[in-house]
Amino acid sequence: MHPCKLEKSVEMIRNFFESIGKYLLFLRQVFKKPEKAGIFWRQFVKESDKLILSSILIVGVISIFIGGVLVIQTASNLENPFIDKMYVGYMVRESLVLEFCSTMVALILAGKMGSNISSEIGSMRITEQIDAMDMMGVNSACFLVLPKIVAATLLSPLLMMLSFVLGLVGGYSVVELTGIIPTAKFVEGIKFCYTGFYVFYSCFKMSLFCFLISSISAYNGYYAKGGSLGVGKSSTRAIIITSILILMSDLIVTQLMLY
Amino acid sequence: MIQVEHLYKGFDGVPVLKDINVTYETGKCNMIIGKSGSGKTVLLKCLIGLLEPESGDIFYGDQGLSGMNYAQKKALRQKIGILFQGSALFDFATVLENVMFPMDFFTDWSRAQKIERARFCLDRVNVVNSDDKYPNELSGGMQKRVGIARAIALNPQFLFCDEPNSGLDPYTSILIDQLISGLTREFNITTIVNTHDINSILEIGDRIAFIHEGNMLWQGDKNSILDTGCEELRDFLSANTLARNVMRR
Repeated sequence: MHPCKLEKSVEMIRNFFESIGKYLLFLRQVFKKPEKAGIFWRQFVKESDKLILSSILIVGVISIFIGGVLVIQTASNLENPFIDKMYVGYMVRESLVLEFCSTMVALILAGKMGSNISSEIGSMRITEQIDAMDMMGVNSACFLVLPKIVAATLLSPLLMMLSFVLGLVGGYSVVELTGIIPTAKFVEGIKFCYTGFYVFYSCFKMSLFCFLISSISAYNGYYAKGGSLGVGKSSTRAIIITSILILMSDLIVTQLMLY
Repeated sequence: MIQVEHLYKGFDGVPVLKDINVTYETGKCNMIIGKSGSGKTVLLKCLIGLLEPESGDIFYGDQGLSGMNYAQKKALRQKIGILFQGSALFDFATVLENVMFPMDFFTDWSRAQKIERARFCLDRVNVVNSDDKYPNELSGGMQKRVGIARAIALNPQFLFCDEPNSGLDPYTSILIDQLISGLTREFNITTIVNTHDINSILEIGDRIAFIHEGNMLWQGDKNSILDTGCEELRDFLSANTLARNVMRR
């Protein structure tokens, strides 16, 4: 290998491990005991509203449409007369609960929630608001980031549940409106071989993904530099890194929990 | 009183501050002056602990900053008020909430007491009827005033102001200068103002330290600055027509 390329590779590896170390130190700073419980809860309520409640609309709309599309696609691929039509409902339910309601919704939230967190904290960094907090003796990372992480991690399973229910509603509506399969068969499929563990697995994945989204976006914003351009770059970087990590952790968690 | 002893600071091997020795007195407006890039903001950031000096120490009273642990630094920071160049008001909070912010964290006062104290601070800086406004609804001068009100909310012993006049018109600049000077005397605060505004220097500079290329070349007060023999300081001052004319005479 050319010495220049080797140097660059070594530099990249070093930067990678440095970033991981910096991220872990950042988390240590974030997970310190809040100065005052009252202030933490006030922030928690604000962040729950901003990150979770404000995401309900987009998650709901996407879930209804995806539920409907899944019904059409599954039904059109199950034309064999020997396969019972109730399997359409079964497969739609399994697709929704196993992958769409957690992983796909998390990827959507990585864009919405991630850019929100990263740009908010990044602009506070470049306008010296974070310096002002630090200089007052306030743990800025804990005050700004901990309520976001806790709200996103604890409440995101509710979004997953909502997405699941609305996905089924979307599918049911398509069945009702188009008559692509008998409604009774669809409902029978939804009830068929129900595994409660899958809902738990999906909720767990959603919590994990939202932890990654909130913490990585906050980390990128917290260390943003270079003016408004730097804030934009940190947002973009946060979304890319989070999306990749969501897919990687999806693979690992699925292997660990389902196999 | 704040004492700086043999302070060195550099970045990537390039020295920015070289052997800085200076004493900042209580109840006075201590100015750090110099051209852009001379190292005065770096010195200010070292003083407030945002940057770690390479060598030397900063003493707040008898306590050296380098020897303080996290708890001691945190306690010290509660005695410090800072006015940042861009005011650094919190976007998420109203004017009243901005001033109450340090009280929320470091006092056990009731909400009514906090509001009373915040209103007192806002009155002191002549900000009235703006309690519920957000920072983006205020003018630059108003933002600076609110920044000062927040800085004095916990009765600080030390007040740091980074370029308090930047972006302000001459009239508002004078008002801000007078406000800083008045508060310094009224509450007997050790005030340190980082500026390159010559009007400010001549208006409120009780003690002045001139930094040039990282070296502290001159120390004195506003009465002696125009008679200085320091060539670099004369060059710096001669950018201002009034100061240039006085120096010629």
